[in-house]
Amino acid sequence: MEDIRSVGNKINEAIQNRGVDKAQFWVTQKETHEFNVDGGEFSLMRTLFDNGLALTVYHENKKGSVSTNKLSDADIEAAVEGAVTAAESAIADEAYDIAPNQGSQCFHDNGYEPDIDRLFQRTQELMADIREHHPKIMVMQMIVTHVKTHSLYRNTNGTECEAFKGQYLISLTFAGHEGDVTTSFFGAGVMTDNLDKRFIELGSLESQLKDAEAQLKTIPFEGKFEGVIVLTPDSLGSLLGSIIGNFVSDSVILEKTSLWLNKLNEKVADERLTISMNPSDPRIVGRSHVTADGFLEEDYDLIRNGVLKSFLLSLYVANKSGFERAKNTSFSVVIEGGTTPYEDILKGIKKGLIVGRFSGGQPGTNGDFSGVAKNSFLVEDGKITGAVSETMISGNLADMLLNLVDISKETVADGGSVLPYIAFDKVVISGK
Amino acid sequence: MLEDFISGKKALFADGVHTELRAQENRNRRVSLIQGNLTANSRSEVLGVSARVYKNGLYGFSSMAEYSASAAEAVLKAATENALFMDKHVPKGKGALPVLQAGNIALNKAIADTEQKHYIDFCKGVDDYIVRTYPKLASRSVIMSADSMEKLLCTSDGYDGHTTLPRSYIYLFLNTESEAGVPLELFKAVGGFGNFEDQFTDPALLFPEVDKLYETLMKKREGVYAEAGYKTVVLGGILSGMLAHEAVGHTVEADLVLGGSVAGPNLNKRVGSELVSLVDYAHTAFGKQAPLPIYVDDEGTPAEDAVLIKDGILTGYMNNRESAEGFGVKPQGNARAWQFSDEPLIRMRNTAVLPGKDKLEDIIASVDDGYYLVDTNNGQADLTGEFMFGVCMGYEIKKGRLARPILDTTISGVAFDMLKTVDMVSDEMTWSSSGFCGKKQPMPVGMGGPALRCKVMIGGR
Repeated sequence: MEDIRSVGNKINEAIQNRGVDKAQFWVTQKETHEFNVDGGEFSLMRTLFDNGLALTVYHENKKGSVSTNKLSDADIEAAVEGAVTAAESAIADEAYDIAPNQGSQCFHDNGYEPDIDRLFQRTQELMADIREHHPKIMVMQMIVTHVKTHSLYRNTNGTECEAFKGQYLISLTFAGHEGDVTTSFFGAGVMTDNLDKRFIELGSLESQLKDAEAQLKTIPFEGKFEGVIVLTPDSLGSLLGSIIGNFVSDSVILEKTSLWLNKLNEKVADERLTISMNPSDPRIVGRSHVTADGFLEEDYDLIRNGVLKSFLLSLYVANKSGFERAKNTSFSVVIEGGTTPYEDILKGIKKGLIVGRFSGGQPGTNGDFSGVAKNSFLVEDGKITGAVSETMISGNLADMLLNLVDISKETVADGGSVLPYIAFDKVVISGK
Repeated sequence: MLEDFISGKKALFADGVHTELRAQENRNRRVSLIQGNLTANSRSEVLGVSARVYKNGLYGFSSMAEYSASAAEAVLKAATENALFMDKHVPKGKGALPVLQAGNIALNKAIADTEQKHYIDFCKGVDDYIVRTYPKLASRSVIMSADSMEKLLCTSDGYDGHTTLPRSYIYLFLNTESEAGVPLELFKAVGGFGNFEDQFTDPALLFPEVDKLYETLMKKREGVYAEAGYKTVVLGGILSGMLAHEAVGHTVEADLVLGGSVAGPNLNKRVGSELVSLVDYAHTAFGKQAPLPIYVDDEGTPAEDAVLIKDGILTGYMNNRESAEGFGVKPQGNARAWQFSDEPLIRMRNTAVLPGKDKLEDIIASVDDGYYLVDTNNGQADLTGEFMFGVCMGYEIKKGRLARPILDTTISGVAFDMLKTVDMVSDEMTWSSSGFCGKKQPMPVGMGGPALRCKVMIGGR
């Protein structure tokens, strides 16, 4: 592909020639280097060269989008024509819009240029660390990648945002394995913009490896009780995704099915809980700089001290609903740690469950959830009494946020989010 | 359709290695009407070429987002260099793969494009009917997604091919509220293999599906919470298909077997009652085209059915060429890649529990106290075969009769334990193919099954 700015200029020209009201586009150039480990052994080395154009045009209050990785002059013309034709076929809606002029920006993030030899060494070192310190771990798959992205965003209101970013991604799927006994799988992922630390020290990797080994001896849980669950940062992240999808996202606000539709600036959670979306946090790696609608990203609080402060809305749904748009669309969730050490939270639990991974159906729009508590440990009288299997948890997401017991002092930063351990009461825990 | 720039490059394949060269285009067309608002109106195309080279047990791969003769040459060179780098730094010392018989698979179906206006007008026709007929619904969505893969494959040994996999679906979502004001949702995917016009000719033909979905949603308004515990249930065909894919299928993918799945120590052992058989169909099932037919995989292996469980005994795994060699079996065409920039992984195709001889009504009549679970919106399982499926529609069974509908719940169990409790199997199959399987890369797959009487854990409240 030729220079990204030359491609951008050709797209600008094609848009101008077509005479549409508004348009925005991203051009990206991406280079990926990747090592794969399968069944504990190196298996594959990949090198990928990708391009992309994502273009949206707005004409007479109609909108059409095209994305393609074909960027010859003829393909650019065809992409613009395709987007215009799609827009002409669309349904007019005055709510479609893009951001006003945000000026010209250029961002250079850390880690843009990869060190492939060092990446390979760090990967070998991680395999050796696991073999030496966690001999009962079977690494099913490890994918270690560096992605280098050069992107250019422009819109017809005059905004230009060029970004150079790169990040290393380490993704592991593993299980405890001894004889014929295999635990449930564990998935760990972390992003970083440097290779300064041993990979095993990043995110929650080491603690998850220990948990997997401890899961080799599980007991099926019997009975049913209402008690406390402690969500680890990993399981908390997945349930937060459901909370956002069910209560504050575009579709549930547009459909008016969100339980929190009329709760803006009202209490929806325990006052100790603040959920922020902070792409500028130094612990976050590989952030976006511009929203999907062309605004420069800013940090904001979704919930502050238990009060709902924002929905996670696009400009379109904001215009449709009358609520404010989200100030970023990065999904960089930050929940700061509380004051109680994790061990002390466990000491205060009469009967409960530490949930390492939640394997559940998509919670209903009413917030009801039920699913299997995978990689979990029973807590009785303040102590971990054993790893359990075949244990289900059920409750309601909205109620759960109001029944918060405590937030741990410790947090885990995996490059995409910063999350503590959080204990919630009044969740039904049931076994066979 | 793709022009052939690659078959002439076979002369550039390195000696002493196995090479695949693949050109591929993925397309997606999407229209989304939420409450009549057009929230998505998009067309996407991803085209490029990739090469993968196998040397002594290690692979090198490279891809480029450009489809030309020079791009094909560049990825061949880079993939070969990557394989050599790996062989030099982490040598495995394995030999070459067993040579496959050469052959060619001719184009199975042409991809046809449709103007975006046609998609929008069609969805609007369905949406207008919903508004007109059911004005009291709390909300509605009509979503159209048409995706396709077109692949040109050249291999150093094995089959070459030019194949396509187009799918077209319309997803209907209807929402209401219970009398207590609790939001309730049901959805239905309509469509299947083929271009949009193959599946959808007139919006009016979808109206009966809307009516049926609405009627079921109204029943769900009177739903009750299931009673949590270990229960006798009748799993409908959608759920038994999910079971075939998630809870059994993944554990018998050879890469996951090597990763320690429960299927490893259970080969040739009883894992289900003698009423249970399970097959991953390649392109033809029960005398008809399978929901998503695969004729050749991305390693050049001609696709054939993989029998996984026969009469309750675990009989085999799904393999790629390398794992098949390791297990001493013949590869059957399960190595599939999602986009041009993806390497082939061991994937399912059309995985199904085989039907039996019982009638559904007799199965229901045989249950004194249990549940008939009809539809699912989510499913997960892991290496142990422990599974969890979301149930979005089901009914109580009381004294052999269907009773009250149930609200959303979850079932769970351990596949190789649960399959041993199967004591009745219906004689009818239900297939689904609208979703994606996730495993490093997404992949369109088909899954299906009959109704099964069995025991599972059900979550209540």
